[in-house]
Amino acid sequence: MDEKNREDWLDRQLREAAPYIDDDGFTARVLQKLPVARPQRQSLRAVILIGTTLLACALAYVLSDGGRFLAVEIVRLTALPTLWLLVLAVGSGILVMAGGLVAAISKTREVQS
Amino acid sequence: MELTDGDLIARVLVEDDQHAFGELVRRHQSAVRGLLRQLTRTDLALADDLAQDTFVRAYKHIRSFRGEARFSTWLYRIAYNCFREDARRRKELVGIDEEQLQAEADPQTVDPGLRHDLMHALSLLPLRERSAVLLCCQNGLSHDEAARVLNIPLGTVKTNVLRGREKLKRMLAAWGPD
Repeated sequence: MDEKNREDWLDRQLREAAPYIDDDGFTARVLQKLPVARPQRQSLRAVILIGTTLLACALAYVLSDGGRFLAVEIVRLTALPTLWLLVLAVGSGILVMAGGLVAAISKTREVQS
Repeated sequence: MELTDGDLIARVLVEDDQHAFGELVRRHQSAVRGLLRQLTRTDLALADDLAQDTFVRAYKHIRSFRGEARFSTWLYRIAYNCFREDARRRKELVGIDEEQLQAEADPQTVDPGLRHDLMHALSLLPLRERSAVLLCCQNGLSHDEAARVLNIPLGTVKTNVLRGREKLKRMLAAWGPD
């Protein structure tokens, strides 16, 4: 008997000796054991983020003397030539879109990997 | 169209979808439980407990799955680690010595039936050879994949597969192709 045939025979027998095992409630038992704490952690994260943002806004408002700089900058903007305003608006739009694209692409790569 | 493992993993990652994870469990439970049954020498209850731990651990750490290997290979690695940790706790991680191997391989003690003999012969192999043979010959992993699962060098896997096969062939000498 050829050595190669003998090895092929052994591998075939090993594969055939491993029959399919019926689920028989196994998956349900695993699902019952899975942790369910994740949504709580996510809501905690959201509370922290929103809280920090609100605190930062309040701090900025107080430190900037009631947000007076905003009114000053808006007056300056209105004094700009129309072409400059257009360039500024288009530039800002492209910048935000690029940021969104980069975030979406990196998230897609993360999920695919 | 049936979703791939990658699609299901993405759903678990993005939406924390436990139903998607359930589908992954359904797909891979047979292979993982089968491997653990062989590693635990057909202790079905222990093998199923370890298989449950394997999938729960996989769910908790699914973010660390980078897709460098197949999902099944990643699961085998977790299963093997669960088995090792449990064996270490039970202090059973001691390979069977050659003397015991010879004694148990006595043809008079082996029951009839090729499948039974094969399972019996497998259970007599030392753990390192049994694991390598099961992963490569039974579950179809490449030597490289088995090396990742077992966390040992590629050369060691090849040696263990070769030795394990030789011992199996010796123990199953009465069977074989005509």
